[in-house]
Amino acid sequence: MAITATAPAYAPVESYVGESGLWSWLTTVDHKRIGTLYLFTSLFFFVVGGLEAGMLRWQLAGPNKHVLSAELYNQMFTMHGTTMIFLAIMPLSAAFFNYIIPLQIGARDVAFPRLNAFSYWVFLFGALFMNFSWLIGAAPNGGWFGYAPLTTMQFSQGLNIDFWVIGLQILGVSSLAAAFNFITTIINMRAPGMNLMRMPMFTWNAFVVQFLLVLAFPVITIALVFLQFDRFFGTNFYTIAAGADPLLWQHLFWIFGHPEVYILILPAFGLTSEIIPTFSRKPIFGYPVMAYATMLIAFLGFGVWAHHMFAVGMGPIGDTVFGVTTLLIAIPTGVKIFNWIFTMWGGSLQFTTAMKFAIGLVGLFTIGGISGVMHASPPADLQQTDTYFIVAHFHYVLFGGSMMGIFGGIYYYYPKMTGRLMSESLGSWNFWLTFIGMNLTFFPMHFSGLMGMPRRIYTYDSGQGWDGFNLASSIGTIVLMIGVALFLHNFFRSFRRGAIAGNDPWGAATLEWSIPSPPPEYNFESIPRVTSRSPLWDVKTPTLSAEVPHTSGGDQRVNVSFAGSHVGHTDSAPLTSEPRQRAESGMHIELPTGKSARELGIPMPNPSIKPLLCAGSMVIMFSGLLFIHKDNLPLALAVIIGGALSMTFSLYAWVLTPLEDAH
Amino acid sequence: MPLPPRLRRHHAAALPALLAIFIAGCANADYPNSVFTRFTEFNRDIGYLFKLLIYLGTFVFIFVEGILLYTIFKFRRKSDSERPKHVHGNTTLEILWTAIPAVILAFIAVPTVRTIFKSQAVASADALQVEVIGHQWWWEFRYPQYQITTANEIYLPVGRKVNFKLTTQDVLHSFSIPQLGGKRDLITNHVNYLWFTPDSVGEGAWNGFCAEFCGTSHGNMHFRVFTVAPSNFEGWAANQQKMAAFGAVAPAAASVVPVSTPDGTARGSAVALPAATGIAAATPTVPVVTNPTHPAGTAVPATFVSFPYDKLGVHNIPQTPLPEGLTFNESLKGDPQRGLDFMTKQMGGGCVGCHMINGNPVMRGVIGPNLTHVASRTTLAGGIYPNDAKHLALWVKNARWMKPGVIMPTLGAGQYDPITKTYIPKTGLNDQQIADIVAYLQALK
Repeated sequence: MAITATAPAYAPVESYVGESGLWSWLTTVDHKRIGTLYLFTSLFFFVVGGLEAGMLRWQLAGPNKHVLSAELYNQMFTMHGTTMIFLAIMPLSAAFFNYIIPLQIGARDVAFPRLNAFSYWVFLFGALFMNFSWLIGAAPNGGWFGYAPLTTMQFSQGLNIDFWVIGLQILGVSSLAAAFNFITTIINMRAPGMNLMRMPMFTWNAFVVQFLLVLAFPVITIALVFLQFDRFFGTNFYTIAAGADPLLWQHLFWIFGHPEVYILILPAFGLTSEIIPTFSRKPIFGYPVMAYATMLIAFLGFGVWAHHMFAVGMGPIGDTVFGVTTLLIAIPTGVKIFNWIFTMWGGSLQFTTAMKFAIGLVGLFTIGGISGVMHASPPADLQQTDTYFIVAHFHYVLFGGSMMGIFGGIYYYYPKMTGRLMSESLGSWNFWLTFIGMNLTFFPMHFSGLMGMPRRIYTYDSGQGWDGFNLASSIGTIVLMIGVALFLHNFFRSFRRGAIAGNDPWGAATLEWSIPSPPPEYNFESIPRVTSRSPLWDVKTPTLSAEVPHTSGGDQRVNVSFAGSHVGHTDSAPLTSEPRQRAESGMHIELPTGKSARELGIPMPNPSIKPLLCAGSMVIMFSGLLFIHKDNLPLALAVIIGGALSMTFSLYAWVLTPLEDAH
Repeated sequence: MPLPPRLRRHHAAALPALLAIFIAGCANADYPNSVFTRFTEFNRDIGYLFKLLIYLGTFVFIFVEGILLYTIFKFRRKSDSERPKHVHGNTTLEILWTAIPAVILAFIAVPTVRTIFKSQAVASADALQVEVIGHQWWWEFRYPQYQITTANEIYLPVGRKVNFKLTTQDVLHSFSIPQLGGKRDLITNHVNYLWFTPDSVGEGAWNGFCAEFCGTSHGNMHFRVFTVAPSNFEGWAANQQKMAAFGAVAPAAASVVPVSTPDGTARGSAVALPAATGIAAATPTVPVVTNPTHPAGTAVPATFVSFPYDKLGVHNIPQTPLPEGLTFNESLKGDPQRGLDFMTKQMGGGCVGCHMINGNPVMRGVIGPNLTHVASRTTLAGGIYPNDAKHLALWVKNARWMKPGVIMPTLGAGQYDPITKTYIPKTGLNDQQIADIVAYLQALK
C-alpha cells in the first residue's frame, strides 16, 4: 500500500515505554495515558450505546413487535442518547484533547496533571454509576432531555430519574474540571513562537470547545440542582401543582443543550481540519477564517437554544428571533465546509482510511446541515419536530459528523499513540460499511418522519406508511454494526500486528509528528521553537512552506521568549532556501532515545492515587442521595457524610503532596 | 378552495422531476400520515415553505456534494512525488461563500417570518372551539359551544375554521395531526392554541398522535379526527349532547347548568369533585342556546351518530395485538340493565370513581374518559384498540396488561396486575359481570 511505502522514514527503535502494571494506570498523571484511558472507556460505552441502539432498531424493525416492553424501550432510548452524548462522543473527544493538545502545542503535559486524572476518574465512576441502574432494573426513562414535569416525583417515583440526575451532575464535574485544565494549558503552555494564529486547527477547535463547556455546563448544573432539590428535598421548582412553569426546565436545558451540540461536533471538525491538509499536502485553506468561523459558531450557538422549542408556543416574536439566529449559524458552518473542499482543491489527495472518514464527515455533515436549515424555519419545523425527521437530522450531525471525524481521528492518531499503523485494507472495509450502513440507517428516517412517524414511540401499526422505512433503517443498523465491529477488530489487532509507524507516517505539518511514536513520557526532549503554522513542513519540505510568514523564534507579538535567552523578532528574510537556518531556529525532529525523563533530568509530575480516591469519594457522596428514596435516611446520611469526609481527606492529601520531586 | 396565486406559480415552475414525484407520491394512500397535504391552509402554507426548503436544500446538496466529488476525483494523488502548491486562502472566494449562503437564507427567512405571523394570529371568533386536554395517555376533547365532552375522537365540519385550545392535566404532550396540521405542545400551566380550516377535504378519518414523550405509554396515545359534512357534524353533535342513551334518569327541569366547565375547573382530583360538575352530571342537557349560529330547534338529521365504520381506512383501524393469554368467554351474553345496576347500585368495578356518564347520577368521575356516548366511538384506550365487545371486555378485565402503565385498574378476578404486581382476588369481576358492563356500555350510542 502507498501508506506503508511512505511510512518507515525512521528506523523502528524501541522507545521508552515507562512503567506498566495496574497500579501505574491507577496513579498515572501522564496526559497520554489518561487520554488512552479515556479512549478505551469511551469506546466501551460507544459499543454499549450501539447495542442499545440495536435493541431499539430491532423493536422497530416491524410493526407491533415485542422485543422490548414499553418501559424497557423508554429506558433503552434514554440511555442510548445519554450514553452516546455523555459517555461516548464527549469522552472520545476528551481522549483526543488529552492526548493531542499538549503534543500539538509542544508541551510536556497539561497544566494540572492531577486534575486531569481526577477528571477521568470522575467520568469513569459517573458512567459506571449511571449504568449501574441497569443492574437494579431502574435505568433512566425520561429521555436524555429529561423534560419536567415528567421527571418530577409526581410522575417518576422510581430511582430511574435519580440515577440520571445524579449521574449527569457527576459527569458535569468531570467536564468542567477538564475544560479549565485545557484552557489553562492552551493559553500558558504553547511552545515559544506558537502564537494563537499558529495553533493547529485541532487545538483551535478544542480551545473553543473548552469555553463552550465552561459556559454551558453551569446552566445544566443549575437545572439539575433544581430537579435534584425537587426530588430529594421537596422544593417546587418544577412542581406543577405549585404553579411551576415547565418551560423553565426547557429553556435551561437547551441553553446547555444547544452549545452541547457544538461541544460534540467541533472536536470532530478539528480532527478533520488536521487530516484533510495532511492528505492533501496543502495547508488548510483560509486558516484565519476557519478559526473565526469556529468562534462564531460557538458564539451563535448560545443564541439559538429555543429552536428546540418552536412547538411550545413562544409566540411569533420568539419564533422569529430564534428562527433567524438559527439560519445565521448556517453561514460559518458553510464556510467551514467550503474551506475543507478548497483545501483539497489543487492538492494531492491520498485516500487513507483517515482521509476517507474526514471526507465522509464533509459530505454527510452537509446533509445534516441542510436538514438543520429546514427546521430553522419555525412553521416548517412544526411538521418536523418530534418526528423521525429530527432523528435523521441529528444522526447525520452526530454520526455523519462527530463519529466520522472521530473514526478518522483514531486512524490518524493511532500510529502516534501506539507506534503502529492500523490496517488500511480493514480500514477500507470499515469505512465503506460504516458509510453505507450509516446512510441506510438514517436516510430513510427523513421519510418516516415526513410521513408522520413520531419519535420515541415503542411500537406502531402497519399500514401507516412506515414499515418499509423502518425495516430499511434496521437493516442499515446491522451493516453499521458490522462496520464498527471491523473497526474494533482493526483497533485491537493492530496493537501487535500493525506496521511500525515511525515519527511521522503521514507527512503531517504539526509538532506532534516530530517526536517518536509512541511519545516518551516527557514528549519533547527539548522544547521546539515554532516559526510558522506548519513547523514540520518547514523542516521536511521547506520549499513548500516558504511563502508563509516566519519568525526566527520566540513569540513575535509579545516579544518574549520561552527560555529567557532568546527574544523573538520577525525574520526579515523568511527561510526561503536554507533548511539549516531553520533547524537552528529551534524546530527539529526527535528520535527515540530510550531514556526516561529521570535519566534526562526532565522534571515530570509524580504519579498519584489521590485524584482517584477523591473522585471515588465524590461519587460515593453523591450516590448516598439514592437511599433517601429508599426511605433509609440514616444510611443516606452515613454514605453522604462518609463520602464527603473521604473526599475532603483525599483532597487534603492531594494538595499537600508536591507535584514533582525536588530537583 | 383555489390555490393561492403564489403557490400556483410555484407549482407551474419547472421542478426537478424526482422531487415532484416524491412529493406527489407522499400524498397518496400508501402514506396516510404524510405531512405533504393541501387539506388545510395550515398545511398549504407549510407545504409552500417546505417546497422552498426542499428545492433550495437539494440545490445546495447537489452543488456542495458535486464540488466535493469533483475535487476528490480530480485531485487524487497520481504519484508520490507530487508537491502541490501551497495556497493559503482566497479572499474573494471566502467572501463569496459567506455572502451567497446569506442571500439564500434571506430567501428562506422572509416567507418564514410571514408564515409565523400568519399562523400564530388569533383565530377569528366564529371558529369552532375545541378544548384539547392531554392525559397520560389519552385525549379529552370538549366542545364548549356545544356542551360536549368526548375522548380520543374529534369531529370537525368541513370548511369551518377550528381553534384548538390546548392544555394538559399532567405532563407535557403534543397535539399532532400530520395530514391536517400540527403540531403544538400541551404545556402544563400554559394554554396554547392551534387553528386551521379543513377546507379542501372531503369526509374522512385522519390519525392523530401524541408527539411529545409523556411516559410509559407515549406510543399508545393516539386519536382520530373525522372531517364530516356540516349537516352530519350537527347530527353528531346533537347526539353527543343528549343524555346517556340507556338508563338515564328523568330530567330535573329546574337546574340548567353547563355540562362541562369550559375553563377546565372540573378537572380537579377525584376526591374534590367540583359541585358544578356533580350537579351537571345529574342534569339533562336541554340544548343550551349559547351559540347564535346553532340555535336550538335547527332541524338536524338524527341519522348521523358517528363516522361509518366501513368508511375507515385500514390505517384508521388500530391493530395493537392483544396480550397472549388474556382471554374472555365470548359466549356469555351480557344484559345492559344488569350491567347498569351492577355499576351504579353495587358500585361494581369501581367505575364510578373515574368515569362520567351524563344522565347517570352516580357516574360522575372526572379522571377517566367521559363514557356518555362511548359506543359511538370507533376506538378504545387512547386509540389503540377497536371499540368492540371483545376488546371492551378484555379492557375492563385487565387494562393494565393491554396498555402499559395506565391508571385504569386491572379488575378481572384472578388477573395479574402488572403495576402492583399482585393477583386480583376472587372478589374481582367475573366474566359474566364484565359481559353485563360491556352490554351496558355498548348501549351508550
